[in-house]
Amino acid sequence: MPSIDPSRNSAPRLWRSLAELDDAPQFRAFLEAEFPEALDATSVDRRRWLQIMGASFALSAVAGCEAQRKEILPFARRPEGRVPGRPDRYATAMDLSGSAVGLLVTCMDGRPLKVEGNPLHPQSLGASHALAQAAILELYDPDRSQYPVERTAQGAIVHAGDGQQDPWARFDEFMRAQMTSAHERRGASVYVLSEASSSPTLARLRDAWLAQLPESRWVEYDPLTDDNALAGTQLAFGKPLTTQLVLEQARVIVCIDADVLADHPAALQHTRAFAQGREIVDGTMNRLYVVESGLSITGAAADHRLPLRPSQVPAFVGELAAAIERGDAGAAGSDTSAAAAPHVQKFIQVLAQDLAAHRGRCVVAVGAHQPPAVQAAVHRLNALLGNVGHTVRYTAGPRAQRGSHVEAIRQLAAAMRDGQVQTLLILGGNPVYDAPADVDFAAGLDQVPSTVHVGLYRNETARRCLWHVPQAHFLESWGDARSWDGTYSVVQPMIAPLYGGRTPVEIVARLLGEPLPKSDELVKATLQALAGDQFSEKLWRQCVHDGLWADSAWPAETVPDVSVRDLPADLPAAAAEGSLELVLMRDASVYDGRFANISWLQECPDPMTKLTWDNAAIMSPATARALQVADESRVRLESGGRSVEAPVYVMPGWADGVVGLALGYGRVAAGSVGGLEEAGVAPVGANAYQVRTSQAMYTVADLKVEGLPGRFPLSSTQDHHAIDAVGLQERARRVPTLVREASLDHFLHHPDFVQHVTHEPASLESMWTELPYDGHKWGMAIDLTKCIGCSACVVACQAENNVPVVGKEQIKRGREMHWIRIDRYFQGDAEHPEEIQVAMQPVACQQCELAPCEQVCPVAATVHSSEGLNDMVYNRCIGTRYCANNCPYKVRRFNYFNYHKDLQDPRREVSKMVFNPDVTVRARGVMEKCTYCVQRIQAVKIDTRNAGQPIPDGAIRTACQQACPAQAIVFGDLADAQAQVSRQHGDDRAYRMLGELNVKPRTAYLARIRNPHPDLASASPPAGAGHS
Amino acid sequence: MTAVDNTFNLPGQRAPLVTGKADYATITQDVCAIAEQHRPPRSWYIAFAVSVATLGVLGAAIVYLITTGIGVWGNNSPAFWGFDIVNFVFWVGIGHAGTLISAILFLFRQQWRTSINRMAEAMTIFAVMCAGLFPAIHVGRVWLIYWLAPYPNWLAMWPNFRSPLLWDVFAVSTYATVSALFWYLGMIPDLATLRDRAQTPIRRMAYGLFALGWTGSARAWHHYERAYLLLAALATPLVLSVHSVVSFDFAVSQVPGWHTTVFPPYFVAGAIFSGFAMVITLAVPARAYFGLKHLITPRHLENICKVILVTSLMVGYAYSIELFTAWYSQNPYESFLFLGNRPFGPYGVFYWIMVTCNVVIPQLFWFKKCRTTAWIMVVIAILVNVGMWMERFVIMMSLTRDFLPSSWGLFIPTPIDIVMFIGSFGLFFTLFLLFCRYLPVVAMAEVKTVLPHGHQP
Repeated sequence: MPSIDPSRNSAPRLWRSLAELDDAPQFRAFLEAEFPEALDATSVDRRRWLQIMGASFALSAVAGCEAQRKEILPFARRPEGRVPGRPDRYATAMDLSGSAVGLLVTCMDGRPLKVEGNPLHPQSLGASHALAQAAILELYDPDRSQYPVERTAQGAIVHAGDGQQDPWARFDEFMRAQMTSAHERRGASVYVLSEASSSPTLARLRDAWLAQLPESRWVEYDPLTDDNALAGTQLAFGKPLTTQLVLEQARVIVCIDADVLADHPAALQHTRAFAQGREIVDGTMNRLYVVESGLSITGAAADHRLPLRPSQVPAFVGELAAAIERGDAGAAGSDTSAAAAPHVQKFIQVLAQDLAAHRGRCVVAVGAHQPPAVQAAVHRLNALLGNVGHTVRYTAGPRAQRGSHVEAIRQLAAAMRDGQVQTLLILGGNPVYDAPADVDFAAGLDQVPSTVHVGLYRNETARRCLWHVPQAHFLESWGDARSWDGTYSVVQPMIAPLYGGRTPVEIVARLLGEPLPKSDELVKATLQALAGDQFSEKLWRQCVHDGLWADSAWPAETVPDVSVRDLPADLPAAAAEGSLELVLMRDASVYDGRFANISWLQECPDPMTKLTWDNAAIMSPATARALQVADESRVRLESGGRSVEAPVYVMPGWADGVVGLALGYGRVAAGSVGGLEEAGVAPVGANAYQVRTSQAMYTVADLKVEGLPGRFPLSSTQDHHAIDAVGLQERARRVPTLVREASLDHFLHHPDFVQHVTHEPASLESMWTELPYDGHKWGMAIDLTKCIGCSACVVACQAENNVPVVGKEQIKRGREMHWIRIDRYFQGDAEHPEEIQVAMQPVACQQCELAPCEQVCPVAATVHSSEGLNDMVYNRCIGTRYCANNCPYKVRRFNYFNYHKDLQDPRREVSKMVFNPDVTVRARGVMEKCTYCVQRIQAVKIDTRNAGQPIPDGAIRTACQQACPAQAIVFGDLADAQAQVSRQHGDDRAYRMLGELNVKPRTAYLARIRNPHPDLASASPPAGAGHS
Repeated sequence: MTAVDNTFNLPGQRAPLVTGKADYATITQDVCAIAEQHRPPRSWYIAFAVSVATLGVLGAAIVYLITTGIGVWGNNSPAFWGFDIVNFVFWVGIGHAGTLISAILFLFRQQWRTSINRMAEAMTIFAVMCAGLFPAIHVGRVWLIYWLAPYPNWLAMWPNFRSPLLWDVFAVSTYATVSALFWYLGMIPDLATLRDRAQTPIRRMAYGLFALGWTGSARAWHHYERAYLLLAALATPLVLSVHSVVSFDFAVSQVPGWHTTVFPPYFVAGAIFSGFAMVITLAVPARAYFGLKHLITPRHLENICKVILVTSLMVGYAYSIELFTAWYSQNPYESFLFLGNRPFGPYGVFYWIMVTCNVVIPQLFWFKKCRTTAWIMVVIAILVNVGMWMERFVIMMSLTRDFLPSSWGLFIPTPIDIVMFIGSFGLFFTLFLLFCRYLPVVAMAEVKTVLPHGHQP
């Protein structure tokens, strides 16, 4: 374990403001205790003073070391294999809502810097999502909880320790007393509320806890629960199971209200499999149908998309099943329910045919938002289509046995209200904020005499508990986790806890009577228990090294054949025509709200809306017109007496009559980024949990929308302002030339179609002599057929390249700093949501060969390198911004302010640790842009040169490329004809965006190939690229 | 207007350039009196106080800008330039008339220039100072701006000679230097006059220092006129080059709406247009205020109006050629910009203000009444300057919609943008009022050469 750490207790003190110290009477006491001479400094001479100071600091460092922690060798002697300034990589895993993704963390000199996916991990395959990328910023968040806090009648007391005493002493004392009384009661009226966790160690300790305290209750709650999915398998198969989609086997994929490429614990693996299926092999590729109410990432990737209101989905599933059965029975598949619109009927008919033609090679997925009956109906569909065991597998495992989260929180809240709870231990999570509004968790919590919250932040829940203690971040702790498919991962620390937090595992182990739990030993014991005979020290070491226990995924369960069984047919009826439905969504940035204080994520544009720093009531243009609202109008969304106020965002492609609102915003105790009431930091966005009830966790019926006066400014990174008719018309004309597309059929007949989209004169001459290259020629290729627009690359680039965060106001001004952005364009008639198609295009610096920026810079601050890169020399730049004006791709970013000014605050000292030391932190007044991760190029070049070998293709991976779950980005040496990037540049589909300008970009785009069903082609744009 | 109508232009009969009973003595007396007043009138103080206050606000805004960052302006992505460069081009344009009047009209022996050239040249120099201010402070790291100069240094770094911005530095600095020299050289005999008339030692000292020991000898006059002619010849190409080079900032780039070969002549015409409008704006009140109506006569003003009319037609031609080229080239980006976005896009109203002020309204100068009525010409001149500012703004806003629709945006000025634009007028008028207070506002020595000797009726 790499670790700095020498003085855990003294370290945080550095981050505190002087003002805080000034005011604190403890400070004087501390000073007196620590430096007795300091109070009378005049009486000693300078030499004596320094001696005392030196000795005191050394002693304080010693005092700071906790006894239970295994000490690591000090840096007096360099550990073997450790070269200062050379990064090390360690495997770990990130557990989110009870499902883990394997990660590989780059540490430099003992400090974790960058998160990547673990290539060995089946749920990551080397890729990562934006949330994992941002974990590093969460680790170094100065707003994280640092000391145990006790709430008393006099206000909150921060137990910072007084230099000698362990800050946790009072808490431990309190808990000892609690446990003694709990044991006397055999645990009666003792409750533990855990956030969803897949940790087998925590599960083991839970069992031990329940054995010690048999009367106590241990419940789990996750606001983004998939209770419905488990209930659906219960309904279908008689037991709760986890559904595993095997998308790589599927030629036809149907997603019913299921955002499997983004909003799914296995999204990374799904994306990889889906993207591989998009490769044209023998003239075919997979086909994706999406039925959804909103417009999700999966919907944007779809070949055919059918927007339906959530309550119309059950009927759709029923009719689809009926159509397939009719087809099986040989009946004509035309007379579907007359109630459905013609385009829906057509869709069902074609889809049923397509599915029937791909038995065993298709898959139907349903999202956790849909009720259990629909889930069961979809399981039956898959059985009917012979997919079970091929493209769908079912696994058991503890995850499926967990019981209902909603039921758990409801019962707990009821018990609390009834005074049946004496002691409540909350292990992570934030139920005061994110529990369903109707269970009124907060009111119940106030009835409990002893409440303890363990968490990374002193959040809304922590502030209402008697005690709050800081949790160690997963990058600081030992632990374990299981991924969606059950693969077991070991979580290992990259650094000693910055703020001395403890993990839930450590806390529970301690309460169970282990005075000084060694969390690595606890994890090892779990592995031993899981592995049984197979366990060996070698296996443990292998697990820690690889980050996972190979082949530990849960085996597929044999399930009864439900194709013939009549499942309960009472599919919920559709809501009345004309009524409104509210869809509550997971947010792509803040998830369920837990990442609200992570500025990278707040500023990462939502993949579909491109909104930053806010959520909004999303609705289709027709819905907005009916409600007489427009973008940025304020509305009150009300249902069942509960309401929330939010700004409107009008987006084409949404089903009419549906309003969407992302969860996770409106935090009042997130921190100085996401909203902190006590410090006067306004909440970011609207709190959708206010209208969420345990009966309607994802879809709220009978929504009433009331327009409010005034406007609420929204900040988006694209279409910063409403575009007029002239602009819209031009955009529609231009987009097909920028994002070139064709249907598979058209492409097979016209493989050179991409060259005929725009007119590029045959011989374009340059005013300047082009540089000769005798070495490397770096280049990139981005496959638009694979890119789904998930935005992992945006945050990965931000983490790698020290890209600053600018805040909502600056985004509104149009001054975002992202080096790579994903342009999102809509195509089709906004009035017909079913015709809307979405084009995604990642755009970073194209490293033009004849770079227009280079020519106009008066001080030669941007110049061409001998390897074809368009280098930006920060310390030469004086900031005329001419280069950015002349950049046709508008990828250059200017530091209009000192965007790192907040780091001057001593409390943010720790935030500086997030910077990549290989990349300059840019000053005010300087231009910056994508460098193709030149620091990574140089690192590999140095290594290979030292080894005396050529650079193998694929050895250099840019940050965006590495994060990309779809493997849409390829980087390499164009001088090497065999390199993958060279082959892609030579692909039929390759084109240069704005190639007619003769700037000769180094990044090639590979045209997007869609695979529409011929019978539905009328609903999609005409073949070729001439649509808009 | 004055009783004597000197605006006729009959063949064979020259209208007088100076009206009334002016002779050498009265001209000296009339002009020097302005600079020699013990206490200027209260109105000068009020005007000066307002100007200095505005200048002070500009100074404060500059300090705020430099200490905080360019972000205090409305500039963003894609409009990386905004009011900063609009104001720069606007002021450079205004700074065109003076040298044109003094150099080109001198070479063409247009003797009517003598009454207005001093004032116009002063205006030029002050306008160029205002112009130079904006690009200097608009860079992100103003403390490193000397890197624009090609000076030998240990970094062995030259500036990038391919960059039009660098050409701009040379063009504007050369223009400023030559204009200032030209202005100063022309002023030497008049400074000597002021020196000779000075009542206090300080004035004698100051004027004497700058008069460079002028004696008025034939030999001195000989050298002086040679030098003046040479400088005029040197300044003449600069009049054309400086705004051509300024236009290269745009024309050499590839932004649709900027990348246009018509820009150099179009910019020069526009600059003369706005410069002459500014001369009207300044000269009409000044001649009334300082009692110089017999020196700056309706004939002078009418001539200026004619120049404005001609350049207005040239500018109008350039506007129409831009549209034609956009349509004829079938370049989709240019077609959109010129035929769609500029007239009908988010900044369409500014485009139409520009067309109205620059092309439609100056057509009033076809009417003699408009060319000879002081208030009408001032109103038109001010509108022309409004229109010319709009022209630069409209050109700048081409940035907001270039190639990729994903990156389209809007430029919305901040209060600091507006304050700094107004503040630049504070700088201009402070300098101009000081000029009126301390220097000969009319070139006495030159006007004396065009006196209608013995031809007085």
